[in-house]
Amino acid sequence: MITLDIQNLEAKIGEKQILKGLNLQLEEGKVHAIMGPNGAGKSTLSKAIVGHYDVSIVGGDILFKGKSIKDMEPEERAKEGIFLSFQNPVEVPGVNNAYFLRTALNAKRVHEGKEELNAAEFLRLMKSHLSELGMKPDMISRSLNEGFSGGEKKRNEILQMLILEPDVIILDEIDSGLDIDALRAVSEGINKMKDGKRSFLVITHYSRILDYIEPDYIHVLKDGQIVKTAGAELVAQLEEEGYDSIAIEQ
Amino acid sequence: MRLNSFKNKNLEELATLLAISPQNRPLKKFIEMGGLPSKKSEAYRYFNIESLLDGEYESLDYTPKVVNEGEEIVIENGVITTAPQGVRVYYEPCEQIDDDHFDPLYYLSHALYPRTIKIEVDGDRELKIVHRFTKSYAIINYRIVLFNQANRHSTIYESFEGELVQNSFIMYGYDMHIAPDSSFRVVKLQTLQNQNYSMLASHKINVEKNGSCIFKSFDLGGDHALQLIKVELDEYAHIDAQHLLYLNNDSKRGTVSQIIHKGQHSTSNQEAKNILDGASRGIFDALIKVEHSAKYTKAIQNSKAILLHDKAYMVSKPQLEIYIDELEASHGSTTGQLDPQQLFYLQSRGISAIEARKMLVIAFANTMIETIRDSRHQELIRNEFDKVFYSKED
Ligand SMILES: Nc1ncnc2c1ncn2[C@@H]1O[C@H](COP(=O)(O)OP(=O)(O)O)[C@@H](O)[C@H]1O
Ligand SMILES: [Mg+2]
Repeated sequence: MITLDIQNLEAKIGEKQILKGLNLQLEEGKVHAIMGPNGAGKSTLSKAIVGHYDVSIVGGDILFKGKSIKDMEPEERAKEGIFLSFQNPVEVPGVNNAYFLRTALNAKRVHEGKEELNAAEFLRLMKSHLSELGMKPDMISRSLNEGFSGGEKKRNEILQMLILEPDVIILDEIDSGLDIDALRAVSEGINKMKDGKRSFLVITHYSRILDYIEPDYIHVLKDGQIVKTAGAELVAQLEEEGYDSIAIEQ
Repeated sequence: MRLNSFKNKNLEELATLLAISPQNRPLKKFIEMGGLPSKKSEAYRYFNIESLLDGEYESLDYTPKVVNEGEEIVIENGVITTAPQGVRVYYEPCEQIDDDHFDPLYYLSHALYPRTIKIEVDGDRELKIVHRFTKSYAIINYRIVLFNQANRHSTIYESFEGELVQNSFIMYGYDMHIAPDSSFRVVKLQTLQNQNYSMLASHKINVEKNGSCIFKSFDLGGDHALQLIKVELDEYAHIDAQHLLYLNNDSKRGTVSQIIHKGQHSTSNQEAKNILDGASRGIFDALIKVEHSAKYTKAIQNSKAILLHDKAYMVSKPQLEIYIDELEASHGSTTGQLDPQQLFYLQSRGISAIEARKMLVIAFANTMIETIRDSRHQELIRNEFDKVFYSKED
């Protein structure tokens, strides 16, 4: 089963075309890793999927569970079950972390016809995840990402993922800037979400995280296209020979 | 009464017209300052004063009424109707007006109101003052003197109720005398929305030696209103002034102020946060003046504005006028929009665009709302905030 089906996607940032006919299919229950050089368009792809205002789609389509999402508002995509962990999560001073997350979760629950969680119920849920991720309890009362260290920001993204329980999870360089403990905590959080149904798109520079989250597929993104797809064995080749060794297969 | 009919009148003519003595001090000061303000007057540069002065208004009778006992002080159309037990509220001529207020209408207002409402806040207490207006097409004008005794610390919550006050013009204001070593906290909450009255609140605040004034204004919604505040600080006196403006539609509101450091070691901290939606205009025209006598003064002034609409406009003029070197002073002003990255981040988690906007707007205002000690009052302000947020016409 295909959860996310990206068909011949062409996307621009400003006047510059970044994605040039990109094809990618995410399978249910599988972990897809995308690797590629800096500036290849990896973040642009993730932004196109969640509907970021920087990116305009000029060709092709993105289907989620068979439906086109390219004209949907970002919040609608999120409520349908698409989640992006940002490469650089923005700081939002004055917006309480717990209040933000509860609002987000309840928006999704209402969308799914479920009852909203009250403050006490939510707090219980949030606290249980905080301790799993090795996050301090003061994350409840602090402002969203404000003054968080790089590692804390990434953990907070994973916390949101755990609470929102999305169906398609995109992780844009979740591993960058993490020390080994944080990397382990974050990877455990991600592995916990594997349930045979969810699809993962792990965007990374380094193979390090792939030791923890075992990918089913490796895709190489270069110059706005997926130029190669293979199994996990490709990681070793990329490590040794670099991206230049990948010839365009088409 | 048409205020514009006072134009080009000399002291004798105006005294005759108003049936008051030409010796009346406020009236003399009013004439000395050149009479009615125009759009060229310093105090009203950014506010449409002329159309207000041009209106035809009914004048009211301010004959004192029986005062009922109640939890709050209620002043209805310029007359005290309710007061709590143990608070001295009475009428008396004002013997101490400012010598040099920048607002000519401060003087006119004094001249037109034969008495003042005097409120002695003795003891450490919380007091609610409710201004109630129920007359349309009227000029409602009154003055209040607030004073306390040394070493007392009190809080005043000020609110406004208006019914059937279309096209009325309200002028009121405080002459506040804060005794040595005492403090006044004043929290003003005014939401105007479709009430169609205009208001000028012209205050004079005297903070005596080692006294402290905390003045927080929350001005929300629509319509036209201006607060004109003059503050004088004695030795070691302090003022903390915070102004939150959240305007929509074609509202025009704000603060014109002068904080004058007269005594050594006096400190002032003035902060404005302005959120402007629709085609509203926010005003923060604020001067801090440090006189020769005010060595070792500390003065901080800051204004931040967020424009939610391309038709919204902020006039932000923080100014420092300094006559000495021995001081610490800073001022600044910024105007911007909601951060699209922050908005997107919230939306990408499933929060609707409108809720995301609200969260960011509240976040901006929260640093001020959170400084209110009483949590019920914080709640009240947030509720008013919500009302304004959801009531705007697009
Ligand atoms: N906001 C932006 N404005 C202009 N150019 C951008 C913007 N974001 C990314 N780009 C450009 O788009 C290209 C792809 O960037 P990106 O998708 O971030 O690459 P990657 O994530 O693979 O490193 C780069 O050339 C980058 O400079
Ligand atoms: Mg990137």
